[in-house]
Parts: sequence; C-alpha cells; structure tokens
Amino acid sequence: MIEEEKIIKSKRIFSFLCILGLVVVPAMYYLGVLSIGDINMLGRFITFAIVALGLDLLWGYVGILSLCQFTFFCLGAYAMGIHLAHHGGPEGIIDSNGWKIPACLFVVYPYEVGESSGDALVPGFWKPFWNLPITIFLGLLIPGLVSLILGYFVFKSKVRGVYFAILTQAIAVAAWLVFCRNDVKLCGTNGLTRFDVIAPHGSIFTLNPVDATQGWIESNTGAGNIDLNKDGAIDQLDYSIADVGYSLSAPEVQVSLYIISVLCLLGAYLLCRWIVISRLGKVLVAIRDDEPTLSFFGYKPYTFKIFAFCVAAMLAALAGLLYVPQMKIVTPSNMEAVRSVLVVVWVAVGGRGSLGGAILGALSVNLIYNYLTSEHNYGFFTWSPDYWPIFLGIMFVVVVLFLPNGLIELVDRFIKKKSDIKNMSEPSN
Amino acid sequence: MVFFTGPNGHLCGSENANGLNKDKILEDMKKLASEDKKIVTQAVKDLAKSGDIRLESFFEMYRQGSIYNWPSKSGEVRIVLNEETLMDDDFNEFAPLLHPLSKEPFLINGEQAKPGLFELEDISPGRKLRSLVNSSKFLLRLFSPDLETRLSGVKKCGDPPFLPDALSNLEEISNNKNEDAKVRHTAKESMELMILGGVVEGKKSIKDRVLALEKLGNLKSLRALARIDPLESAITALSTFKDYSKTEIKNFKKSISSVRTKIEGHKEKVKWSGNLFRGFSYGSVLILIALGLAITFGLMGVINMAHGELMMIGAYTTYEVQLMFGHSPDNPVNHYYLFALPLAFCTAAVVGLIIEALVVRHLYNRPLESLLATWGVGLFLIQVIRIIYGDNIGVNSPTWARGGYEIYQDIVLPYARLYLLGLSISCVCFVYFIIRKTRFGMLIRATMQNRDMANSLGVRTRKIDRLTFALGSGIAGVAGYGWTIIGGVTPDMGQTNFIVDSFLVVVTGGVGELIGVVYSGLGIGILTKLIEPLEIGTFTIGPVWGKVILLALIVAFIQYRPSGLFAPKGRLADKK
Repeated sequence: MIEEEKIIKSKRIFSFLCILGLVVVPAMYYLGVLSIGDINMLGRFITFAIVALGLDLLWGYVGILSLCQFTFFCLGAYAMGIHLAHHGGPEGIIDSNGWKIPACLFVVYPYEVGESSGDALVPGFWKPFWNLPITIFLGLLIPGLVSLILGYFVFKSKVRGVYFAILTQAIAVAAWLVFCRNDVKLCGTNGLTRFDVIAPHGSIFTLNPVDATQGWIESNTGAGNIDLNKDGAIDQLDYSIADVGYSLSAPEVQVSLYIISVLCLLGAYLLCRWIVISRLGKVLVAIRDDEPTLSFFGYKPYTFKIFAFCVAAMLAALAGLLYVPQMKIVTPSNMEAVRSVLVVVWVAVGGRGSLGGAILGALSVNLIYNYLTSEHNYGFFTWSPDYWPIFLGIMFVVVVLFLPNGLIELVDRFIKKKSDIKNMSEPSN
Repeated sequence: MVFFTGPNGHLCGSENANGLNKDKILEDMKKLASEDKKIVTQAVKDLAKSGDIRLESFFEMYRQGSIYNWPSKSGEVRIVLNEETLMDDDFNEFAPLLHPLSKEPFLINGEQAKPGLFELEDISPGRKLRSLVNSSKFLLRLFSPDLETRLSGVKKCGDPPFLPDALSNLEEISNNKNEDAKVRHTAKESMELMILGGVVEGKKSIKDRVLALEKLGNLKSLRALARIDPLESAITALSTFKDYSKTEIKNFKKSISSVRTKIEGHKEKVKWSGNLFRGFSYGSVLILIALGLAITFGLMGVINMAHGELMMIGAYTTYEVQLMFGHSPDNPVNHYYLFALPLAFCTAAVVGLIIEALVVRHLYNRPLESLLATWGVGLFLIQVIRIIYGDNIGVNSPTWARGGYEIYQDIVLPYARLYLLGLSISCVCFVYFIIRKTRFGMLIRATMQNRDMANSLGVRTRKIDRLTFALGSGIAGVAGYGWTIIGGVTPDMGQTNFIVDSFLVVVTGGVGELIGVVYSGLGIGILTKLIEPLEIGTFTIGPVWGKVILLALIVAFIQYRPSGLFAPKGRLADKK
C-alpha cells in the first residue's frame, strides 16, 4: 500500500521535473525572464542534484554515509577538465612528441632537477583524454573502479556507520592534498582552466593531436593560407584554431549543456528509482534496517553495499563531467572536505530516503546559497555574505533536530491536505 | 654630551640594558670624523667591540657613505645619517637628517634638522678602511651580550665568504672559560673551517687544510661535510705537481675519507634520532588533540565534529588572556601562559555545555545525525569567530618557548615541543585519574556501560552526560591552548588541521578505550615522521604522500582489526 503510494508519488515528481526542467525553464529563457547566466547556474546546480541523488541512494536507502562524494565528482570533473584543456585554444607549447601542453599545465609544470622549459612533456596519463567518448568512458570508469576497490576493502571488513563516514572523510582530505600538488601534473591549486571549445571534430574521430593535425593539413593543402596564427609553421596550434567545435561561451551551447544536464538528471532519477523499487532495493533497505538479520538469511551485505557505493560514485562522476564545461574551470577546492559534507546537507534538507527530496534539497540549498552570498539591504538590517556560514550552520542543526524527513515532508503534507480536501469534496458532487 | 638632541624618550628594553654602552658608542662615533687615520681605525675597532647589534646597519651605512659629520657652529662634531636628499622650489638641495643609531629624525629645537648639503662633511671611509668596516659588521656579533646573536656571529665567521679577520677573536672566545660551551665549540669549529677553506694566511697549504679537516672530524662538524669536496678536488689538482710525495697524497685521501665516514655517521645518527623525537612530539600533539574526542566520541558515542572548533575556542581564549596581560615579544609577560591553561579549559567546557544542552542531547542515539548537527555547530562557531577577530591574529608564545635544549651535539629539542610533550602526558594522567580514580569517573563509566541500570540505581545520567561532554570539550580547549605554542591560530584551524587526524587516532585506537588513544597517537606520530623523510631514488616522500601512505596503512590496519587496537570485548562489543 505504502509502496504503491510511493511509486505514484515518484511518477508525479518525475513528470513535474520533466516539465519544469525541459519546458518551463528554457521557455523562460527565450521569453527573456532568465538570463543565460541563470541558465548556466541552473545547469550547474542540476549537476549537484545528480550527486545528491547518488548520495541519497547510498545514505537514505542503504544507510551508508559517505563523506567523499565530491572526490568522485572531481575525478569525473578532472577527466573532462583534461579533455577540455587539450582542446583549449591556441595558447600552449608543442612538446617534442607533437602534443600541445596547455597553458594551464605549462605555467606550473613540475620540472625535474636539470630540466629546462623545452623538456616539458604532456604526461602519459593525459593522452587518453584527447578523445571525447574515451574521456566520458574513463571519467565514469575510474571513479567506479576506485569506489569498487575502496568499497571492497572497507565493506568486506565490516567497517560500518560512523567509521565509514570518517574514513571517507580522511580519503577526501588525502585526495585533496594530492590534487593540490604540482608534481602530480594536474595543475596544482590553479586547477585546469582556459577552456575554449567542446566537441571539435578531431576530439571525436581521432585519438591524438598528431593524427588530427595531419588529417587537417592533408585536407587543407592548397586551400590558401592555413598558417592561422602566422608563426611561420603549420602545426597543431593552427589546427586548434581551425577545428572550432562548439564554443563554451556561446549561449546556445550553454542551453544545450543545461538540457543535457537535465536529461542526465532524469536518467539518474529513473535509474535510482528502478534500483529502489526492484527487489534489489528491498535488500538495500534491509541492510539499512537490520544488517545482521539479513546476513543470517544468507545474503552477503557487502556486495550490495559495494554496488550502491559504486553507483553513487559514478553518478557523482557523471555530474563532474557535466559540471566542468559549464563552470569552465576545475580546481582542487572542489575536493575540500566541506564540499562533500555539503552534499549530505542537501540530502538532509531535501529529505533523506526520498529521491525527489534529494533533488529538491540540492536545488533549494544552492538557490538559497546563491541568494544569500550577495549583500541585501532590508532597511533595518543588512545581510552580509559573511553571515552565510552561520545560516548554513543553523540550517544543519534545525534540519537534523526538527525536520528529520526534510523539506519533502512539508511538500507531502501539503499535497496530502489538498487531496484530502478533494476527496472530501468529491462525494458531495 | 648634550648635542644629541635626538629623542631619548622612546627606548626599548635592549637599549636600556645597553644604556651605559650608548654614551661610549656615541663617543667612539665622534672619532670617525677625525683626520687621523689611526684614530678612525681605532674607533671602528672599538665600535665593533661594543657588540651593539644596531651598529650593524650603522656600519653598512658608513661604508656606503651615508654617514656625515654636521659640525655645529661652535665646531662640535655631530655624526648624522642622511639617506636621501630633497630639493626645494629654488632647487636648493637639503638633507633631512636621522639619528645614526636609532634612525629616528635628528631633532633640533623639536624639528627635524634639514641643513643644506654643503653644511655636511663627508667622512666616508677610504678603501682600506672599508674592508675593515665590512668585517666589523660581522665582528660586532661576536661581542654581542646576547647569546643567540653571538652564536650566530661565531657561526657565520666559518661560512663562506670566510672572515679571517675574526680569527684572533674566535681564538679568544674558544679559550674563554666563562663563555658558553656551545659558543666555544662553534668558535673552534669556525676557526678550523676557515683553515679548511684556505683563507688563513700562513695556513694555506694542503697539509694544514687536511689537518684542520681531521680536527673537524673529531668535532663531528656537520658544516665541514660540504667543504670536503673542494679540498678533495684541490688535492686531485695538486697531484700533478711535486709538492707532496705520492704516499703523502695517499694519506691525505685516506684521512679525508675516514673523516667523511665519521661525520656522515654522526649525521645519520642526528637525522634518525631527530626524526624519532619529531615522531614522539607529533604523537604527543596527536594524543592531545584526540584525547578530548576520545571522551566525547569514544566514551559517549557523539560524533563531535565541532571538536576542532572547541580547540579553536581554547586557542582564542589563550589569545584573549595574552591581550589581557599585554604580553608581546618586546614586553614579555610570560606568566600569562600559566593563567591561560585553566581559562582555556573552562571556556571550552562552557561552550561544550551549551552545545550539549542545545544540540547534542537530542541526538544521543543517532550518531550520523549528531555528525551533521555538530558540523553545523562548527561552521557557526568558525564564522562567529571570523567575524569578531578576522582571519589572522598573532598569538605570541611565551619567550621561553623559543630555542631548544641541545641534548646531544646537533640534536636540539625545542622547548615548545618538550612543553607539549609534558602537557600531553599530564592531560592523559589527569583524564585517567578522573575516569578511573574518582567517584565522578565511576559514575561516567557506569552511565556509559549501562545507562538504564545506572539510572535505576539513582545516578543522574543526564547530569553525567552533560559533565562528561564538558570534560571532553575542556580537554579540547587545553589542546587548542597547547597548539598556540607551535602553530598558527585561524578560525578554521579545527577543520583544516585537526578533525580528520583526531578521528583517525580515536578510530585506530579503538573507540571506548582511552589507552588506545595513547598507543595509536604515538604509533601514528612516529610512523608518520619515519615515513616522511624516506627517499625513493630522487623522490622524497614528504608530508603529503606520507599522509596518503599512512591512510592506506590505516585502511589496511582496519581490515585486520575492524574495531581498532583496543576493541571492546564481550557484551560491550555488541553495542555500537
């Protein structure tokens, strides 16, 4: 009975999200109510909602609190960041292997003792990310593998509850420290930036810039001047100007990225809902409620936990992949421990254990954040952005103490009241 | 003596101490304006002997020619400093004068003197004198009454570019029975280093240099290590000539290599014992920061993410006490640090009480929720402190915390670290005493082991909860207080430095056992400091990778022992 209600409710949420995300918001943009900046911002917040969905599956349904979701987010984000840096505009240096070192890597390149600036090379692990499909594949696969290995070791040895939370937080901090270093060749604290275009022809059909440049030169010989940057040599730098792709700052590209994000969110929602209402989902909830009993029935809870952990990690990575082209920069500050705890707040505010709640929480907290981190004058009182962390801190406490089921409960009550009134008024008709 | 009308009112402490010297210095300065070269040379030498560190910049300015004589109308000598000239509307150049010692405006009738350039008499030193002035700049330190300054001066003489002029002074110092042993040792070392460097007249031959090196080997001089290679190449270059026989050169090389192994052995010993001490020291810090958490998290089961912020409160209390006592490096009031200890404990304990009453008491059976709520409390505290104090404050640790105790040649134990070690030990003893030996501690244990039973036997468990949380918070405050002596104080110090480490220590140690914190804190501390300096090829592991490796080790360790070092056994183990 309750299950059925939930399904109906989730269908309602789904159609509501579809209409709002795919019809209302773009329509508002074309009518001039929302600016392109707003669309871009909403697109980013929607990627956060995908992270929240993953965590809700893990925390709300399996009862595992992970405090490193943004580490997985960043693994995806860095994959896309490296890809975009490969295709990032004409700045940069061609190294001795014919690969272009993007400006963001070149300025912080960690030279060994005795190396000079001519010895800089594009690191080997950057190379697979030249190709967009491979980037997306690896951007999902790597976090998946990391979570698989981590989950195997941690869940197999029955690390539970709070211990797991603290362990994941430690991992988040360690990963952040590593990504901040220059010598891992991920551009240190500056992060990856100077992105220009997405999906140029060469990034989809070739595996490396040497082939791409070669093909471009062959097809263009005799087509007038192809020395586009006029440095006297026809090379990859010319090719990177010529193969334009889609500029990340163009409004239509940003709207498309927004639409893709919404579609991914809907896909993620469907996936999570499918997991939750299947038999698999029942096992997951059983783990949350009584793990020892479940093991007595012959289940191996750790396999299910690993599964949920991997799904959550890959959803976070997917969000990272979508986030970077919209944010146009990715830095290690996204990996700080606070960011991962914030995801937990989104889910807690929206409503733990309800997929719609996670989305609602992520979007509403981020919109409030967006509003409260600018200055507002209310006549008697001036709100300063400095007060935001205080507000956030109080929100943590209030939600935990007074709203254990989150905002979605308020929404539920509201809908229920309406339908009650409807039901009551129906017989009289 | 009245012609120095410069401001004498503003005297800092060191100037007071040298008050007697000051007149002598000024008197010697006057002699610099003399025509007679001998008097000037003697004056420079006398000035150097005064050991007043402020003369260092005076000598530099004198050498550059910024020091002038500005004779008064009655012909009296006035030594003044002029750094830049100004020009008025009629293009007359005039020079604003400064006091040569204090660098404050040189006052005549309450105003800065600005005579025309032509009134100033150039007294800049000639070429010969300039080199003397230059070396006096360093010699000055040898005569300083301050031990640290003297030591650094003695040390500097032996580092390239060497200061052969100081040789006689160094010899004097090394033979002075009243001198500090460390300074005497360093003086001997510097003398031999100069000979080794081949700058001492009459001792430039290879034989003398090798002899000096052998002496340095007996002194176990680490500084000699870098100087061995030049000597070796000098010998290799020499062997083509016939100054020495082949056997002599062979002997030289033999003794050089034996000295090298001797010093390198000493270096390794120093390095590893230093690492071990650093490990103990880091371990004691870890114990200190985790001890409070071992009470709130370990005993009570509250995931207290505001633990780091309670430490921050302790640190800021220390800062407030420092302000109250007006302690600063120039005007040390060291006993403020004594008063800060109980105050830091109390403030943090009170904040802990408030947190318990408002938030934590609703969440005793919901650990994950308590994690979130206390994190929120932490954010709140950080931002409130940030709004009140801003991002950076300067906590000045007591002056005795500077420097260290040299337990063995080249192994210096910083006093600050030793103090923390002591603080950590006493905190552990204090907590152990309370929990194990007092009635209050017995009630705590009873409540944590079986709340219902304790309740039915008349223990007021609510009150015990409150007080236990306050105790844990207070210990966190003491940890923050201790931290101010070695680290920076910022509003977010808890989140950036402590929270993850302290939880790892508690989890590794085993939740619920205080002794586990001691073992795991020391273990993690020593392991970290032993891993960090390791080298793999040209790659040094360093703090970041050290942390990653350590984390991997902890994950592996938890595989092997899921509930930490000291896991609760029996029925207690069933409770989460």
